[in-house]
Amino acid sequence: MTDSCLKQLAARRIFQVEYAQEAVKQGSVVVGLVNKTHAVLVGLKRNAEELSSYQKKVIEIDSHMGIAIAGLASDARVLSNYMKQQSLGSRMTYGRPIPPDRIVSQIADRAQLNTQQYGKRPYGVGLLVAGVDEAGPHLFEFQPSGLTHEMLACAIGARSQMARTYLERNMDKFLNCSRDELITHGLRALKETLSQDKELTIDNTSVGIVGLAGEGAKGKFESFKLYEGQDTVPLLEAVEQSESGGNAGESMEVDS
Amino acid sequence: MKAVENGGTAIGIRCKDGVVLAVEKIITSKLLKPGANKKIATVDRHVGIVSAGLVPDGRHFVSRARDEASSWRGIYKGPIPISALANRLGSYVQAFTLYSSVRPFGVTAIVGGWDLEDELAVDGQVGSGPKMGSGGKVEGAKSGGPGLYMIEPSGLYWGYYGAATGKGRQAAKAELEKLDLSSGNLSIFDGVKEAARIIYIAHEDSKDKDFELEMSWISSLDGPTKGKHEEVPRELLKEAEDAARRELEGEEEEEGPREDVNESEQMEE
Amino acid sequence: MNHLPEIWGRPRNDIYGSYNPSYLKTSGPITHTSSPTVTGTSVVAVKFNGGVAIAADKLASYGSLARFTDVKRLRVFANSSVVGFGGDVSDMQYIDRLLESIDIREHYSTHGNMLNAKNLLTYLSKVFYKRRSQFNPLWNHVLVAGFDGNGAPFLSSADLLGNTFSAPHMATGFGAHLAVPILRRLFPEERPIEDITKDNAVAALQECMKVLFYRDARSLDEYSIAVITKDGVEVKEDEKVQAQSWAFAEAIRGYGAQTA
Repeated sequence: MTDSCLKQLAARRIFQVEYAQEAVKQGSVVVGLVNKTHAVLVGLKRNAEELSSYQKKVIEIDSHMGIAIAGLASDARVLSNYMKQQSLGSRMTYGRPIPPDRIVSQIADRAQLNTQQYGKRPYGVGLLVAGVDEAGPHLFEFQPSGLTHEMLACAIGARSQMARTYLERNMDKFLNCSRDELITHGLRALKETLSQDKELTIDNTSVGIVGLAGEGAKGKFESFKLYEGQDTVPLLEAVEQSESGGNAGESMEVDS
Repeated sequence: MKAVENGGTAIGIRCKDGVVLAVEKIITSKLLKPGANKKIATVDRHVGIVSAGLVPDGRHFVSRARDEASSWRGIYKGPIPISALANRLGSYVQAFTLYSSVRPFGVTAIVGGWDLEDELAVDGQVGSGPKMGSGGKVEGAKSGGPGLYMIEPSGLYWGYYGAATGKGRQAAKAELEKLDLSSGNLSIFDGVKEAARIIYIAHEDSKDKDFELEMSWISSLDGPTKGKHEEVPRELLKEAEDAARRELEGEEEEEGPREDVNESEQMEE
Repeated sequence: MNHLPEIWGRPRNDIYGSYNPSYLKTSGPITHTSSPTVTGTSVVAVKFNGGVAIAADKLASYGSLARFTDVKRLRVFANSSVVGFGGDVSDMQYIDRLLESIDIREHYSTHGNMLNAKNLLTYLSKVFYKRRSQFNPLWNHVLVAGFDGNGAPFLSSADLLGNTFSAPHMATGFGAHLAVPILRRLFPEERPIEDITKDNAVAALQECMKVLFYRDARSLDEYSIAVITKDGVEVKEDEKVQAQSWAFAEAIRGYGAQTA
């Protein structure tokens, strides 16, 4: 058997992966971005119907790490439970918060096996993992294929291309910005993906942030903080302000 | 297939005093963190692997290699020889062509390492052993050396003086063949320069895309890495990259007037 | 003549009484794991300004026999921490292999984030505790020296039960009785660690190793010493107790001229 023949065989099995990736594209959008000190996750929550609750988009894994999900929430729960266990295990045996890159490679290895064995299916979910370690903040993208990348900024889910365009355009601005400005940039990227009739509200917005602690703080890391509901009010106001303060994006440095 | 990254040329060069691994990483998005996302993996202290093909399959391959290396240590209390590792990985990959319940690996992997030439303390050894009497070593006897193997999706593997895989392998192979590696004269420092140059040449075909060059090396005990698999230090990497760029630009200038002709020829093809 | 071969060569019951089979019991609890076999003695360590110094002699005893005299009981981890082992030597080798495999695993990612001495101590204490809970303890008492997560000098001990204990200067085994009083005299509580130089620390360890050689019958006058600073670990494996004076021995009852 020739190599090309074998590679074709390999490729054929991976069609399943493409269906899984379709599930990620159907999920509502999540955006992640980092600067020198912090990593931010923002997500757009959906509700199945008017009276139902909203689906969780941002999940805390440990005090130094969180994830944002796009795709099948139940698969995300399997992965997040696994990540929580691994983080606790690391804290238990070594007294150390698990480095984000390690846990990301662990879930990547799990996901890869699901693409190579009969009777298994790929996870139908994409993740953004934000975490902090000795070297600073990190953001990883995880795909159902088992591909992972460390990113400066990323968006996955429905209409995420618009957010990615925003992030690419504004990358040099947010790499050196403050903590609050980083959240604002994340929310503005998220806003780009909304269809005409939609708005960011306190009900459908989730924000998670983790990073290095500032000078004089106790401990090295600023613990993962999740903003939902009423807590998001000041964040959304900051977005409003940044947009009205000047031509889109240009006002960031002058603000606050 | 958008799901998988298929691009990127990977090469390995077996030098007289070590092995160099190099890979071209195509930058698929501006949002990727520069310098992160390593594609060369450390398997054991003295072994590195670089692969081309489906990236997640490459990670699976590396993970198996690590398990093999550590189980070897568990049994023999010493580092696994590169030939033995290549053999075991070849068997593992081949097994995935046998059954309908699994699909074959979508990677071709280059395994490079250095078998220690010296008697190192085995794991957990406490004393220095008998100073006299029988059971001693022959004075001055040398063993070990560089090892470079390439394992294909079929499980087939060969040992190589210079190995190349991935998109630009044809160009890379042509360059490797010019180096006369079988005579065993190339030093690891020259190997680093050549590897950088070859990756830059192999990249010529996909010039429109940006790329990062990642390189690692494993030298002899008296060499720069002391038998360990490490990233090539940043300064040396930059030096090699600059030299590679200079040489490519130089060539273009020489062929400058002919360039238009070449282009039209290409169009016809 | 007895025609049953299985009886041949055995003590006759009519003369010696029947054999008491309880001597050859094959059932019952395993007991050989509950005591060490080949052992190392004390480990001594001192924190100083900017690092930690640690020492252990090179002897491995088999009971009271000085069985091996070139044993390295200080183990370097990731060129940033040192584990000093007292107790069973084969258990030390086992733990050393564990540490080696962890070190290799840590180097899979090039990210930095290496385990520091504090992480190492946590890990070792969990291993010890797990094994003692299985009634199959690893018969060691270790000192872990290096730096903690904030970059401050770190020194702590873990024992075969999983206990941990930390102090600016410590000693295991016989040293806990003989070396600690010396260290307390040299470095009283009110003397801040910032006051103690590397040379002070090393001199103190040399003094401790000498006293230990004088008074611990399972010790040796050859020892290893390691100094851990931000620059890495410097290990010397061929130290010797200097300027010995056995004059004091005369005063020991039952040793010198005194016989009663």
